[in-house]
Amino acid sequence: MSTQEEILAKLIEAVVEYEEDDCADAAQEALDAGIDPMVAVMEGLAAGMERVGVLFDTNEYFVPEVLMCADALYKGLDILRPHITLDADIPKASVVIGSIQGDVHDIGKNLVKMMFDVAGWDVHDLGRDVPLETFVEKQLDVKSDVLAMSAMMTTTMMGMKKVIAMVKEKNPDCLIMLGGAPVTRDVANLFGADGYAESAGNAVSEGIKMIGRLREYQKGDIK
Amino acid sequence: MSELTGKQRVQKLFKREPVDTMPCFSGQGAVVVQAIEKMGTQFAKIHTDANLMAQSAITSARLFNMDGIVIPYDMAVVAEAMGRGISLYDGADGIIYPTVPNKWKTLDEIDIPEDYMSRGRLPMVDEAFKIIKEQAPDLAIGAWVLGPFTLAGQIMELDILLKGLKKNKDQTAAFLEQVTQVTIDMCRHYQELGVDFISVREMGSGTDLLSPRMWKTLIGPNLKKVFDSITDTPSVNHICGSTDMIIEMMHECGATALSVDQKNNVAETRKKLGNDVLLFGNFDPYNTLVQLEDVAEVEAVIKQCIDNGLDSIWPGCDIWPDIRMENMETYVKTVREYGKKPSPAVGRI
Repeated sequence: MSTQEEILAKLIEAVVEYEEDDCADAAQEALDAGIDPMVAVMEGLAAGMERVGVLFDTNEYFVPEVLMCADALYKGLDILRPHITLDADIPKASVVIGSIQGDVHDIGKNLVKMMFDVAGWDVHDLGRDVPLETFVEKQLDVKSDVLAMSAMMTTTMMGMKKVIAMVKEKNPDCLIMLGGAPVTRDVANLFGADGYAESAGNAVSEGIKMIGRLREYQKGDIK
Repeated sequence: MSELTGKQRVQKLFKREPVDTMPCFSGQGAVVVQAIEKMGTQFAKIHTDANLMAQSAITSARLFNMDGIVIPYDMAVVAEAMGRGISLYDGADGIIYPTVPNKWKTLDEIDIPEDYMSRGRLPMVDEAFKIIKEQAPDLAIGAWVLGPFTLAGQIMELDILLKGLKKNKDQTAAFLEQVTQVTIDMCRHYQELGVDFISVREMGSGTDLLSPRMWKTLIGPNLKKVFDSITDTPSVNHICGSTDMIIEMMHECGATALSVDQKNNVAETRKKLGNDVLLFGNFDPYNTLVQLEDVAEVEAVIKQCIDNGLDSIWPGCDIWPDIRMENMETYVKTVREYGKKPSPAVGRI
């Protein structure tokens, strides 16, 4: 029987090598071996995705590979997630996420969504080409901690400004995250957003780095 | 300002013949809200009516003394003609470009109709070209088409396509060949319409998304077929996003000119390609024409582009229509005045 270390290494490798079946097998093996599923998610799947981020940043992997790695990660996550027990005293964090009206691209959005899925958040995915008022209505309805919007094209990002103004007026505590190719830090600041990902490539990279931050958080390294 | 018309200036540029000053035109959308307002119409309406499309293009060019125009404005025209539908957002507040709502979800579903050229808005776009030719004979008329990979991403889900490049290489390559033929047919059609240049925008293929190796095997060969088919009209190979790693391969595709956006290191590109290659670009249109609040900064951006070795100063992407008037005026004025000196590939009269 494999040790915990060996099983986590299998999960990491399956994600990095985008082997969906291997990832599902390793996830099941982790459960069978009695490994804490949250450890398997964070130290296996998320750790694997972090390595993918390094490969992406060093131009070894590009978006097709990252998408396939994400598919492998979800195969493992689907098996592990039902077995994660939550602390009933701690409210689950939640996010409303989607691509803005006029934007039919959702690759960056889906990778950022993956980060929230890995962290075990309640994810309200509105999809793509989402009307402005739908973002506002959903955020106010579920009172999410974060509102994450993506616009891949310059021609669609102006809508974000309106959504931010509407949400901040009614729910100033909601953190707002922008991602997508044309949104620069200056634009994010101008719009009154709390975070941003600079480009399609950076949305991938930033999303993966956020997983790293969450892993550190799990380990208590950051407060 | 000179004896050359905009059309003549652009035609000479593509032949690398001396011009009086640097031409100011674009292969990317350049319609502006000031033109739309002057016409008393709305942005959502100029995509479906030949006369409104033609007049908005002509009015935009005339307002700022541009040398050319380019239509249509959105990327969804061909996908719509293939039956993928169209979202026009005519009830939405502000400026939203049309998009494709129903992309094919698998390679097996793809069924490109033979008569797509006579479907959707494509006949309307042809009509708009006719109006422009009649009413603006002094302006260079540009058509643009999507490159095969980007067009493929308009008619089928992009993530499936991207993964297909790795997972189903043969089937995806066959699909890209099929779409390449569509791009070739569109280019032939626009040549027959008598446009002055054709810009092929393979905007989804920069190295933000794809590896140089993948570009070399799956993007470059198809683009070369496209440019080989454009025999009677000047052509432009435009890719936005990261292009430094693929610029030499872009050049090998055989277009008359190359166009890049602000992510390209143009000074380095010029060194790599030499002074004989026509190179267009590469300012950030949103930042330069919409955001900058001091025209001196706009002037500095445009001068830097010229100093870096470009032959025509193009926006890196569509001009966001809600420009500041003074920024657009400064862009054109700076190109005209600072562009009086020869550019690397084109001399001056």
